Amino acid sequence: MKSAEDIRRYFQKSTLSTNRERHEAIFEKIQSAQDQSKTRTPASCRLNLRSSIMKSRITKLAAAAVIIIAVALSINMWDKSIPSAYAIEQTIEANNSVRYLHIKNFTAGKDEPREGWLEFDENGQVAKVRAHMPEWASPEEGPRVIVWKDDITQVWLKRKNVLGIMKDKMAKGQITAFLQNYDPRLAVQHIYELKSQGKVEVEIDEPSDETEPIKMAVTYLPGSSTPEKRKVLFIDRTTKLVNTIELYQLKNDEYEYEGVVKLYDYNQPIDAQMFDLRDEVPSDVKLFDQAADDVGLAQGQLSDQEIAVEVVRQFFEALIAEDYARAGKLFILTIPTSEIQKQFGRVKILSVVSIGPAIPNPELETKGFAVPCTIELEENGQRKTVKLEGIKVQHLHNQPERWAISSMD
Amino acid sequence: MFTPVASALSEKNFRKSYIKMPLSVCNRVMEDKLLIWKFKRGSREALRRIYDKYHGGLLKLAVVLTGNMDKAEDIVQEVFIHFAQSANRFGLYGSLKSYLITSTLNCVRNQRRNNQRHRLQSLDKAEHVPSLARRPDQWAVLSEHLECLSRAMACLPYEQREVITLRMEANMTFRQIAGLQKTSISTIQGRYRYGIEKLRSLLNSEVTV
Repeated sequence: MKSAEDIRRYFQKSTLSTNRERHEAIFEKIQSAQDQSKTRTPASCRLNLRSSIMKSRITKLAAAAVIIIAVALSINMWDKSIPSAYAIEQTIEANNSVRYLHIKNFTAGKDEPREGWLEFDENGQVAKVRAHMPEWASPEEGPRVIVWKDDITQVWLKRKNVLGIMKDKMAKGQITAFLQNYDPRLAVQHIYELKSQGKVEVEIDEPSDETEPIKMAVTYLPGSSTPEKRKVLFIDRTTKLVNTIELYQLKNDEYEYEGVVKLYDYNQPIDAQMFDLRDEVPSDVKLFDQAADDVGLAQGQLSDQEIAVEVVRQFFEALIAEDYARAGKLFILTIPTSEIQKQFGRVKILSVVSIGPAIPNPELETKGFAVPCTIELEENGQRKTVKLEGIKVQHLHNQPERWAISSMD
Repeated sequence: MFTPVASALSEKNFRKSYIKMPLSVCNRVMEDKLLIWKFKRGSREALRRIYDKYHGGLLKLAVVLTGNMDKAEDIVQEVFIHFAQSANRFGLYGSLKSYLITSTLNCVRNQRRNNQRHRLQSLDKAEHVPSLARRPDQWAVLSEHLECLSRAMACLPYEQREVITLRMEANMTFRQIAGLQKTSISTIQGRYRYGIEKLRSLLNSEVTV
């Protein structure tokens, strides 16, 4: 035998087998111990928090006192035989009074946080949102400011100096889903629901030191939508509102810190100007406004192909009438009147010779059509007929009932 | 019953060994998570599965550390009984295997402390040799290799025995073992080196691998 590897192999060869009867007899004893323990304390009264959240000295001292007892049972636990005085319902109740909120979400390894301001209506529904997204969150787009209210989303791409305004009836659902992680009101309500469904394990620590916040550790169980997540909520003793949410992800059998959500300024009114970017963006910003009611053309009773043809027809009729404002509104991203006049004013469009039928546009993931058409125009005193095959039409973003020109090759 | 070292071992040190986890280990860990989850909800089947899955490894560990089959049986039985009673307190985040190994290790240490018996012996004089004899009602039947290994290990100082066992059986790093034994890594490496040398010499006199 020459090396430690040989010893390791020797260990591997060293095996044992068990006597079946004895094996079963021992298991009966073990199972009996399990049965007895079931009649003692319910799991819901227990708390188990990782040392990672035991940051303060006072908490450590309090924990040490408990560990002295826990040592007798040899596991890293925080055993609370006395039921906690705090209950999630208290925070849910406290949340009902919240109208304004300021949130910062710090992600591990990133300096700049994502930041948000929320305003709730009298029914507790999110009514207005403003979010600042740093460059790292979307390197291609660069830093963004997003405002949402009344089903209209404004997005300011700072680097591109573009302000997009979109009407999006589905945005509220998406925002609500997104905020389940960041808005403590939704987060706590969501946790409460998951707990009742048995999808999370909630453990509450109410330190004896009154200056320490209540800690609520939420572990997502197998069967939940995010079974490898853990959140630790720090709750103000007096107001019962959440001040901090720490986020963890199970990686390699260890809950790894992912970031923290800090909650500020509960019920500090937010200036209404914060929820409208139009007066805030630079004067030379490129504005793409899809939210106005007169953008595009309503589909009505027309089929998809028919409305696509109709959009193109009305676009050229507007140009023939030299109504450049109307023509600009028939583009999916509203083009200013001056820009339309600059592009089309140098030729005089006389008539539409032929148009359609619309051909499905394979380039588009959403429904879209290419509409071939032939127009007669006059340029530099010359009349000529031009055949166009590259006019693309589709419905507006999240407004399937309105259609507009998306591009014109 | 056990010592505070259990928590430090089971939580922090053992987890680090999973950082580069092969798929098979990953599957085992995920299965364990599910078993713990069911066990915490009072599942007898989960307890049965955990018992069937880990009793052999823990028995081997206890035999190698104590050199005594009777003690090893008592220790492993005690570990499982305690585990069965801990459903309300056992955290979901820990590694089940690490927890059970740590519990076994602490139990061995406590028993040693209680017995106050710690003597360096040669293979021929090992006090544990008679205890490895087979009885009809014995839980485990050891292979010849394991009997030899156990006798040889009994001749090492306990600290060396523990280092070698944790290294060979639990795949722990020297740093993790140092944390467990509350000493420096170089001391642990020294214990490992001396222990291996002596073990090699003892085993060479018994059998050739």
